[in-house]
Amino acid sequence: MLSPLEIEIITLSLRVSFWAVLIGLPLAIGAAWLLARTTFPGKVLVDGILHLPLVVPPVIVGYALLVLFGRQGAIGSILYDAFGVSFAFNWKGAALASGVMAFPLMVRAVRLSIEAIDQRLETAARTLGANRVRVFATITLPLALPGVLSGAVLAFARSLGEFGATITFVSNIPGETRTLPLAIFNLTQVPGSEAAIGRLVLISIAIALAALILSEVLSRRIGARIRGTPT
Amino acid sequence: MMRSLCQSLAAIVVALSGATAGAAQSETVLVFAAASAAPAIRAIADPFTARTGISVTVSGAATSTLAQQIVRGAPAQLVLTAHPRWMTHLSDSRAIDATRRTTLLGNELVLIAPLDGATTLEPSFGFALEAALGRDGRLAIGDPTHVPAGIYARQALTTLGVWASVADRLAPAGNVVAAVTFVARGESPLGIAYRTDAALSDGVRVVGLFPASSHDPVRYDLAPVSANMTPAADAFLNHLRSDAARTVFERYGFRVMAAS
Repeated sequence: MLSPLEIEIITLSLRVSFWAVLIGLPLAIGAAWLLARTTFPGKVLVDGILHLPLVVPPVIVGYALLVLFGRQGAIGSILYDAFGVSFAFNWKGAALASGVMAFPLMVRAVRLSIEAIDQRLETAARTLGANRVRVFATITLPLALPGVLSGAVLAFARSLGEFGATITFVSNIPGETRTLPLAIFNLTQVPGSEAAIGRLVLISIAIALAALILSEVLSRRIGARIRGTPT
Repeated sequence: MMRSLCQSLAAIVVALSGATAGAAQSETVLVFAAASAAPAIRAIADPFTARTGISVTVSGAATSTLAQQIVRGAPAQLVLTAHPRWMTHLSDSRAIDATRRTTLLGNELVLIAPLDGATTLEPSFGFALEAALGRDGRLAIGDPTHVPAGIYARQALTTLGVWASVADRLAPAGNVVAAVTFVARGESPLGIAYRTDAALSDGVRVVGLFPASSHDPVRYDLAPVSANMTPAADAFLNHLRSDAARTVFERYGFRVMAAS
């Protein structure tokens, strides 16, 4: 049903998005908690910087990543010399680009969820002797789970669609960084590719729809559990 | 308050629509040029505009990208392609006036490296390209599935018997100038581009020239886009074939094929 090339593109896209969310989500939860539950000098500025990928053109994010994390980049060269880790022209770079672009979406969703939690629950736990970490792990995080989940799904979908930052940062390499949108873009440059483009478009829609439905089902279950009603 | 807001909005709408209408009315020629030739076309356009009052906008991108846009109705009047294959595609799609298609320029294919490197390598049969890329370096080229510079590069490397060894070591770029940038930034240790691109970049040096026999001759074809032609576009088309234009093209390193 799917050609080997299509399977390669889909597998790569899923891998890139999976890692973007897997690495990004814990960081996003941390950032969301800091923004929701603490005050510190420069908070507005930090908030703004975290949201930048949402508002600047993706090509700028891609270029910034190239300058910072490229083989000759300020951070990239150190990572390469010290650990042999390279983001240049490989799927890890694509995952990094996707993760950075999707990061604000995760932070927003989680933060809203944390802010909606009744702080008296957390205070009560503190008075009963729980430390901050325990309160976070047993009260805040479980109650914020719907937000974490929707943030993760949103970020996953955003990562699947990431184009501008990816192509700027890690080029368009078959089997390495040519994810679904890049493959579709590439085909638009070649005459007579309409059928192949149509197939990839349908595949993209199917994956996105499946992710949305899955998140809807999961968030209903979690919501029911939090409210204490049987599922 | 509400009224002043509405008036401001109306003023903005008028200003924005006025700007586009004004641009359409004045004499403007839109040239779609292969990325490698766009800088030279711009340099030729400036004195032309000063002399005639006809403004010229040059949109530089991969020939393949431009051709696909023209087939889908882009409002360009002139198109300059870096590979005859794409001009033939435009001709087959009846987008251009094939009777007025001419071969304007020639170019050469070179192997490039970052300025600070010391690689020496002469493209010849079986040359050690893969070894020169190092452990995990990638060869920056125009995407060989559609970008002309990449199509020529694949052809040359195939002729020289090294394509199979580097086919999975490529950093394909959306146009040849982007491939040069990969090398200039040091992200790729080697790349393949036209001689004129290498000359324009401060960050790369030419390592070696590909033998002319290893690939189809690099030819730039010029043609008018039938549906969009205007007298102003005709004037610039003729100017591109003039001696004044020839001087500029030659200064940029192109071989000029057609004369006035």
